[in-house]
Amino acid sequence: MTLTEASPPPTGRAAAPRPPRPRGGPDRSALSLMIPALVPVVLFSVAPLVYGIYLAFTDARAGIGIETSFVFFDNFAHLLADGEFWLSFRIGLIWAVSVTALQFAAGMGLALLLNQDLRLRWLARTLAMIPWAMPPVIIGLMWKLVYHPEAGILNATLMDLGIISENLDWLNDFALALPAIIAVGVWTGMPQTTIVLLAGLQNVSKELHEAAEMDGAGVWRRFTQVTLPQLRTVIIAITSLNFVWNMNEFALVYVLTQGGPGGQTRLPMLYAYEEAFRYGFFGYASAMGVAIVIVVLAVLGLYLRRQLKEAEA
Amino acid sequence: MRTRAAKRTRATAAAALGTVLLLSGCSGTDPADEPMRYLSLAWQTQSVEANKRLVEEWNEANPDRPVQYVQGSWDNVNDQLVTAFEGGDPPDIIHNESPALTSFQYRNYLADLSGDLPESLRSDIKDEAWQTVTIDGEVVGVPLLQEPQVLIANADILKEAGVRIPTSEKPWTWDEFAEISKELTVPGERHAVAWPLDNAVNRMLNLSLNYGGTFFDIGADHKVTVKVGDEEREVVRRIHDQLYKDGTAARAAVGMTASDPLPGFYAGKYAMVQGGVYTRQQVTEQAPDGFEWVMLPPLVGDSAAQGATSQTLSVAAESPHREDAADFISFLAEPENQVDLALGDWLLPTSQEALKAPELTTAKNQWDVATAASDNLEPAPYLQVAGFDEWKTRVAQPALQEYFGNRISIDELARRLEEDGNVVMARYETK
Repeated sequence: MTLTEASPPPTGRAAAPRPPRPRGGPDRSALSLMIPALVPVVLFSVAPLVYGIYLAFTDARAGIGIETSFVFFDNFAHLLADGEFWLSFRIGLIWAVSVTALQFAAGMGLALLLNQDLRLRWLARTLAMIPWAMPPVIIGLMWKLVYHPEAGILNATLMDLGIISENLDWLNDFALALPAIIAVGVWTGMPQTTIVLLAGLQNVSKELHEAAEMDGAGVWRRFTQVTLPQLRTVIIAITSLNFVWNMNEFALVYVLTQGGPGGQTRLPMLYAYEEAFRYGFFGYASAMGVAIVIVVLAVLGLYLRRQLKEAEA
Repeated sequence: MRTRAAKRTRATAAAALGTVLLLSGCSGTDPADEPMRYLSLAWQTQSVEANKRLVEEWNEANPDRPVQYVQGSWDNVNDQLVTAFEGGDPPDIIHNESPALTSFQYRNYLADLSGDLPESLRSDIKDEAWQTVTIDGEVVGVPLLQEPQVLIANADILKEAGVRIPTSEKPWTWDEFAEISKELTVPGERHAVAWPLDNAVNRMLNLSLNYGGTFFDIGADHKVTVKVGDEEREVVRRIHDQLYKDGTAARAAVGMTASDPLPGFYAGKYAMVQGGVYTRQQVTEQAPDGFEWVMLPPLVGDSAAQGATSQTLSVAAESPHREDAADFISFLAEPENQVDLALGDWLLPTSQEALKAPELTTAKNQWDVATAASDNLEPAPYLQVAGFDEWKTRVAQPALQEYFGNRISIDELARRLEEDGNVVMARYETK
């Protein structure tokens, strides 16, 4: 039940040039054209979504011949009092916010670099894309090897450099596990952030830069006063998308830590998965899914409103 | 124009509907005509071979009710099975372990086999093993293989130190073990023992029976409460002492899972490693030439009793082949076949007849010591607790990790296991 699945159904208005409409009801020929597109959307997006929301109001649980009854807001009441869920929510927010912020910072740096007229720029641009081409499970397995306490390349390197004196168990240490997976998250998501920002950078007008330079603006000043304002819409789009993706991240963390040690990396999605498929409380897990969607929408709404207001000002 | 569009719409809608139908009900053939699927979790080469050979033997003798071998993996089998059961398409014959069966039984996923097994099988397998699969009066599986917890030691180090080598008749007590561990430790160079404690809940519960620690009280009304008294604290406290008081156990092993400490063991960094009897296989196969090892019989506390978990074979409640599947399981559980499976997995058979087989009583690879340990196995109460799986992953695992990481005291450990545990138990009170 991710946000991205719930793409809005195409509406009549989107169906381009509008001939004068007969009074009352939508244009019938437009409607008949829409149906083929609507059927899969309803079947594969809307129906599961509605079913998921319905489950959230029942006490559905795994088992054969088990009766399910409607419990209204019971699940949500339990959820409000479920300290562990909110703890996992906090971890999810720390994860999503820091991964998004770091992805943005690193992606911006890389995009600026790739926007320069470097030698072998084509090669650098291709290399920067590689993490994007890898499935999350493979990334998870690869980083698991990197972080391996005995055989991992990270410990070996740090030992050789004399930075650590004994091997660290990155993914099992209570303090290190979350930062360690955040680093992987940033690495994974950097390519798309970089590419989107790079595309934006290429649209920044050269004339403005030249004009600012003539007026004596330094590099930093030109970046903050010329580049950033022109990138604003791109930045808003990519950071909000990244935030939603990161909040709903599952495969990567499932492979790396399964939420351990002691729940230190148990993101809300992992928690809901455990609740549904390990312990079999489908209704309660659906309620969690709904709660996650509501909170993500709320955070996103606040963020977008602020950003758009600033853009107008 | 409109009619053409409408026609096309209808055609597309029909196509979409067709796809959906295709996806939802793949075939029109009756599932009762299809071969039985046997989901096997065997992973060691020998054991996979033994399983496949037995399936072939069965298929030759029973061409009218064939079995198809399906390879599964321990890593994610339970999540996978939940989806299969809920989707209504579970494998007919399911290989698993007894702690997982409790929650499956609670959800009515498994068939009660009490009426389908031949008397010869019922009497051949030990009662203690049957109790590990009898839940709420239902026999939800056939116990096949069992795994006592032992120590594997570097024989040269033991000899050099001149300590008494324990035997099945006169094993080490926990006190003796603690004292000898001090002798075997060389500060900065070698620890006496490596306890891989990352995934240790089942093992700690099984070992705690040494001091009568049962962790769960099951009332007459099936109400379950978690209790952590002196008996339950004994074993974990002793291990914690080795780690943080005596310094005889390697702290580096705390975050490791079962076979992780073996490279350090071969390198002489640990004099002993703790593991199940199957650890022998890895040691014989991987240890460098000239490495001498010895398996030590289970430690003794107030008794030598250990909790038994069994590998099991069950039949899905929804399987249309229940009786045939039960026959196939009975075939696999015949003494001579159990011997093959036990040898393949380096575990102990539950069949009393099989335990007498010469291959399993030879001194080679210390099968005799392993087999002798099977007498100590007793069913542990946690196998009857429906919420055990959630208690284990949500409460006990993190709490034990923190305790063995020396981040919380034993009182805090006990408090969490009990209080947080009872919250979990409350979720499973209604069936």
